[in-house]
Amino acid sequence: MSRFFFLVREALTNLKRNLLVVAGAVLAVFISLSLAFGALVVNEVLRFNTLAWQEGVHVIAFLNDENAAGVSAGAHQGLIAEVESWEEVQAVTYYDKNDAWIEYQQIFDGQDDLLDIDPTILPASIRIELIEIELHSSVKFRLEQQTPVVREVDTAAEEIEQLQNLSSVLNVLGLGMAIVLGMSAVVLIANTIRLAIYARRDEVAVMKLVGASNWFIRVPFLLEGMIEGLLGAALAVFTVWLGSSRLAEATESFELIRLDVPNQFFFRWGILFLIFGALAGVIGSLLGLSRYLRDAEGVGADIPAGV
Amino acid sequence: MIRLDNVTKVYEGGTVAANNVSLEIQKGEFVFLVGESGSGKSTLIRLMLRDEPVTRGTIWVAGKDITTLPKWKIPYLRRSVGTVFQDYKLLPNKTVNENVAFALEVLGRPSSAIKPQVEQVLDLVGLADKGARYPRQLSGGEQQRVSVARSFVNRPPIMLCDEPTGNLDPKTSVGIMKLLDRINRTGTTIVMATHDHAIVDAMKRRVVALDDGSVTRDELAAGYERRTEE
Repeated sequence: MSRFFFLVREALTNLKRNLLVVAGAVLAVFISLSLAFGALVVNEVLRFNTLAWQEGVHVIAFLNDENAAGVSAGAHQGLIAEVESWEEVQAVTYYDKNDAWIEYQQIFDGQDDLLDIDPTILPASIRIELIEIELHSSVKFRLEQQTPVVREVDTAAEEIEQLQNLSSVLNVLGLGMAIVLGMSAVVLIANTIRLAIYARRDEVAVMKLVGASNWFIRVPFLLEGMIEGLLGAALAVFTVWLGSSRLAEATESFELIRLDVPNQFFFRWGILFLIFGALAGVIGSLLGLSRYLRDAEGVGADIPAGV
Repeated sequence: MIRLDNVTKVYEGGTVAANNVSLEIQKGEFVFLVGESGSGKSTLIRLMLRDEPVTRGTIWVAGKDITTLPKWKIPYLRRSVGTVFQDYKLLPNKTVNENVAFALEVLGRPSSAIKPQVEQVLDLVGLADKGARYPRQLSGGEQQRVSVARSFVNRPPIMLCDEPTGNLDPKTSVGIMKLLDRINRTGTTIVMATHDHAIVDAMKRRVVALDDGSVTRDELAAGYERRTEE
């Protein structure tokens, strides 16, 4: 136990003595993991916004007036009953001419020129929510067959589908970026630790001289790497969380897009990032050390090979 | 305690630093390795410490063949062999106390046992009042005393010293030699590489002379130069 405390003390003392190198390593981890974590947050924003856009009405069918253009009385209700029976359909809402006029007034509120119209020209419509958004084309096709009651079919599904595709591409890109940046964090730490070891190679040689095993030499460096990784990751998580919350506050009034990533997401991924940061530090140190300790097996590694 | 059987060391590039050296050193002996620069003294010390692998031959230290020792066991060998070098090899960021204690820390000794041992050995080398100082705050002689204290703190049966007085003035060198002599009297085997004539002549111990990696003389109670027939 006393040996463990000694090694921890060694690590902390070394951190204190090499503040500049430590700052460099922490900064390297912080930058890499901030970008990686930022990419994940952007992914999350895209994911839940796409989901939100997918909710609600997917297809609107504008209807011809009853008792006109060959449309019989009760044709609207007949159509609703039929559409409701389709298995692709989740829900159907009927907007009669009066509802259409109310909606029109809401949309163009304050634009008197546009409001000066004959309300009877506005068509009744049915708003359809689908079970799966991918089913929109078949529903649209079937609705278009419902003549003469259906005048025109409009769907936002194509745009949503495109957005969904874009979101998947961005998701893959974001994850790829997170992985690449995470790996670069490991390499940066490995390099920083190697520099630290190089600067202290005489010290390492003396440690070997008095019989310190490779692990005895390694452990303080591993702890240093772990602490650096943890610090960098904690800073990255905190910064991204702060930036995201501030951005969400600033864009609270936006209706089209939501930026308020739930704290649960930050908590879950934050812990993973802290673990990753610590691991990156340990792996980086191991990589940095393995090469050095392999090269410097003897105590006289720093001594020119004379006689 | 130490035995070298037909040991040869050839460095990359073909330099022969040890040429078929055979030597047996008994427990409690004080042996000087003498010779010109480049004669192979330091190489023999490093071979006995397994800092370098031999090209041919066998070296036995404390009953163990160290030439076939796996790498992971080398630290165990070094814990039983104290070493003193010309350049002291102290940890600059540690105090005298910490430098000496480090040799015990690697053995996993509890701090309650380390403290009194460090105090005792610093008292032995005459630095009891300088434990809190850093190496840079000490003179060369004092730094070498710290180095001796560190190598002796865990009471190793063998001490290997490579030119321990090489950086010191004659008066300070005498102090270090007195210290090593005192340690030798406790039963510790000491092998010391040096080209300091005065010290070797004054101590009158066993002398092994080397030239181009070969043993040219091995005499008991000898001086630096070969005895001339009177």
